[in-house]
Amino acid sequence: MGLLDHIWLGIVTVFTADPVFAIAGLPISITIVMVFFGFLFGIFVGATPGIGGPFAMAISLPILISIFGFNPDALLPVLGFLVGIMKGSTVGGAVPAILFNTPGTPDSLMTTLDGYPLTKRGQPGKALRVAHFSSVSGDTFSDIVLITCAPFLAILVEKFLDFPEKAALIILSLAFVSAVVGSNVWKGLLAALLGLFMAYVGTGEDGYPRLSMGSDYLANGFPLISAVLGVLILGEVFKAFEEMWREMRETSTITNVEVKGDNKLSLSDVRRILPYIGISAVIGTIVGALPGIGNTLAATLGYATGRKIHKGDPAFGEGAIEGIAATEAANSAVAGANLIPVLSLGIPGNISAVFILLATETISGFNPGPAVFRLVPGQINQEMVYAFGLFTTMIFANGLNWTMGGIFMRWMGVMVKIPKQRLLPIVLLLTLTAIYVQQTSMFAVYVTIGFGFLGYFMRKLKLSVLAFVIAFILANNLEESMRQAFAVTGADPWFLFAGPVSISFMVLAIVVVVFFARNQKNLS
Amino acid sequence: MKNERWTIGLAVFFIITSALTLFVWIPIDIETGVVETFRRRVNIGDAMAPTVVAAAILVVSILMGIMALIRPSPNLMVKEGLDKQSFNFLSRMIIPLGLGLSLMLYAGPLVVDFINTMGGEISTYRQLKDTFPYKFIGYSLGGFVLVFGLVCLIENRSSLSAAWAAIIAVLLLTLLYEVPFDNLLLPPNGDY
Repeated sequence: MGLLDHIWLGIVTVFTADPVFAIAGLPISITIVMVFFGFLFGIFVGATPGIGGPFAMAISLPILISIFGFNPDALLPVLGFLVGIMKGSTVGGAVPAILFNTPGTPDSLMTTLDGYPLTKRGQPGKALRVAHFSSVSGDTFSDIVLITCAPFLAILVEKFLDFPEKAALIILSLAFVSAVVGSNVWKGLLAALLGLFMAYVGTGEDGYPRLSMGSDYLANGFPLISAVLGVLILGEVFKAFEEMWREMRETSTITNVEVKGDNKLSLSDVRRILPYIGISAVIGTIVGALPGIGNTLAATLGYATGRKIHKGDPAFGEGAIEGIAATEAANSAVAGANLIPVLSLGIPGNISAVFILLATETISGFNPGPAVFRLVPGQINQEMVYAFGLFTTMIFANGLNWTMGGIFMRWMGVMVKIPKQRLLPIVLLLTLTAIYVQQTSMFAVYVTIGFGFLGYFMRKLKLSVLAFVIAFILANNLEESMRQAFAVTGADPWFLFAGPVSISFMVLAIVVVVFFARNQKNLS
Repeated sequence: MKNERWTIGLAVFFIITSALTLFVWIPIDIETGVVETFRRRVNIGDAMAPTVVAAAILVVSILMGIMALIRPSPNLMVKEGLDKQSFNFLSRMIIPLGLGLSLMLYAGPLVVDFINTMGGEISTYRQLKDTFPYKFIGYSLGGFVLVFGLVCLIENRSSLSAAWAAIIAVLLLTLLYEVPFDNLLLPPNGDY
């Protein structure tokens, strides 16, 4: 079975497996239905300030697993829903930024700079159309790069990396994430090390689960979903509670905007913004492919580059459609590219990628990493079929985005009126319920809340939660690679420095940490 | 220097805890060594990874503390650490959270026990946990208290609309899990 057969099988699986109903005799598969609903849900949460894509993915994952189970059949419907959320929330996020000067997520902050002035001039429709067109263009470009690059990168990795190199690569990724995320390298490293340590509780190869203090509850370690959702979601919810409590709900008045003037996206507008979209899409894709650097930096870089090349009126910051295009194309281009390290190396780069990886870790049958794209003569590599199935869902979601995204996006302006102080306590209850439904144990709920407080304290003390979560997820892979590397090198204690590739990774890890530590003052 | 106070405190905390972990917790709570020999083959033991990580935490904490002392952060705009208000908020937030979860766990069995004590003889909660209305008592009461309590805390007042929001949220979440799925258990029914 060749590459093309696997691609075809992936497409066929997405469109034909488990049909739920038919339209004009054409069966519609469960995966397609899930992508569609995930996409709608993504736009909905993207347009709701204070929630956003990662929140929605976190809440949905336990529910989806409860519905579809842990069998490989569940993979594409679950991943399809998550992909739908990812795509929908990238366009939805621009809605509150443009209409109400309220960035729903940090990466939408730059969108407010030109989006809101346009709204105030009576052209919210034009601003939303530019945001939609730029966002979808950036996202599509990024997906094309993902689909073409990930398999080749994976094949290279598979060819050149053995166990010592894989262990060194994970160390390099963790060093990179720790050094890049946040303003202090040492705190980044501390967060990653803490994540590794907590993942080692209750695991190991010996009959006695290590560091479990004899507790039956800790014998299997901290549940992965509880830990990740606790730190990422509950930590953020607790911090938001405190911020709202401190403000005692400042009275936010929603400005009713009078729509007047040109609200369409004309061909000449498209010609004006295309260069900005192109540059920002490349910036976003490069940034997205590197672990740990998220949408916010991509949006900032895209906006700054756009401002440098922009000439004429209106200037950036005064309602220039080029400003919206530069920002939206850059932050949306991160979405596809950040799956490159996930699919080719099994290393997540940002929070959305964490949830994709978490889904594959929970459901059997698909382990992202170099082996996914291995061709075995005469056999079907089911993992490769799933990978191309995942790509198909992404392309389908992009199709939805191009055709319907703009319309749904403009409908969602109403979401900003939902008060955050009412919504977030409900999100907390929903998260705890989702955890319980999946794990059917109050212990898992307590662990989630415990990790929530940890996430809260980490945010207050500026310890990177992303570095913690990525380290927590990769901890067992790292240990396993190390055990194998130690064994295959004949118990060589210097196994991480056994070959040129692993030596380069280790040296690079040290260089990254030293570089960022030395330049901390300048960078901050 | 105010920001560095927290960084130095964090460094000291992790220096102490990582040292305790290295020299006390790991030796007494892991049964294999850093490496172990089995049939003349040397393998990595269960203690290796936690030991290396704890040692790295110790080193990084020392470096972080030293750097905070000799090179304080120039970014004074970034507020760091917890103040009196943070602790005040946390101590208040724990009340609806703790009360909500306690009610979720115990309200159902307590209601059943109460009815039994009053002569109702309706069997045990374990036997009734899949029966209406008993299976919803804990989740409804606990969920309501959790959402309503937190909204009141944040808004610094209680209101009828907050109560309605909590009731509707609990109702919708109950419907979300109960109507389409027969096999899913709402909290706390899986624990009984």
